[in-house]
Amino acid sequence: MAALLLRPVGRYCLHGHLSPQLCIRKIHFSAVPLGTSAKEEMERFWNKNTGSNRPLSPHITIYSWSLPMAMSIGHRGTGVALSAGVSLFGLSALLLPGNFESHLELVKSLSLGPVLIHSAKFALAFPLTYHTWNGVRHLMWDLGKGLKIPQLTQSGVAVLVLSVLSSLGLAAM
Amino acid sequence: MACVWRLSALCGARGGRALFLRTPVVRPAQLSAFLQDQPAPGWCGIQHIHLSPSHHSGSKAASLHWTGERVVSVLLLGLLPAAYLNPSSAVDYSLAAVLSLHSHWGLGQVVTDYVHNDTMQKTAKAGLLALSALTFAGLCYFNYHDVGICKAVAMLWKL
Repeated sequence: MAALLLRPVGRYCLHGHLSPQLCIRKIHFSAVPLGTSAKEEMERFWNKNTGSNRPLSPHITIYSWSLPMAMSIGHRGTGVALSAGVSLFGLSALLLPGNFESHLELVKSLSLGPVLIHSAKFALAFPLTYHTWNGVRHLMWDLGKGLKIPQLTQSGVAVLVLSVLSSLGLAAM
Repeated sequence: MACVWRLSALCGARGGRALFLRTPVVRPAQLSAFLQDQPAPGWCGIQHIHLSPSHHSGSKAASLHWTGERVVSVLLLGLLPAAYLNPSSAVDYSLAAVLSLHSHWGLGQVVTDYVHNDTMQKTAKAGLLALSALTFAGLCYFNYHDVGICKAVAMLWKL
């Protein structure tokens, strides 16, 4: 959604040629949008740059990684992974033959060792716990809390510890 | 919503330096200001101009979307313990709806961030809508014809 930036629709009326100091200036800040919206400007930027075939400056390959940065992409990554899992589940229900129990029987018949099953449960639980705990951290930020740099690191570490502990707990159940 | 704009006026009639306005961060709501009466010549100081919204031509859609995203996130957060402590058909269908919506909006943000071409974005968003709709349909189908989400997780975990 384009944010309409205000600009003065200048209407300068200079009254009184008698004294240049005596001028009543009326400036209306009204709902006139700027020439281009943010969306239009972005589109121009991308069209210009993708068309020119300019090389991209190195970014993620050279920038020094920080904990908030890594956790942010982790939040996105786990979110996408979880969505993929949910969609796979939903689509399988619609498209694959057999009911849930039959699929579980199939997995049981593989006779996987307890270590493998335990690890699989941890691997399934961890994205969920990480995304959930980091999600709470995000909601705190949305409330305006914990935005100072040291707090960022503290909450980040807390989320990581909680995620690992919760995943271990869930995998043990 | 009234905002106070601090206007540091230049001194005297010597001119040259431009008037600058330092504004607080303004939401898309429209503000209409009527700046009248330039301060008397030679007046140096700070003039406070009070504004009030005269009409609302900006869209609130983005702001409402943002709030909606947070509301759904909190709902989903609440459904997780509910699913564990009180599994039921109601929780199953609520989870299906909230999960589908949360994931749809989340993936929508990913598309907005990484897909820049206008037509590409339209196709990506359309594809996403189809995926989310199918996912929701699949989850509801599972809830109706099969054991339901809560029971399924319990059964999977007993493996």
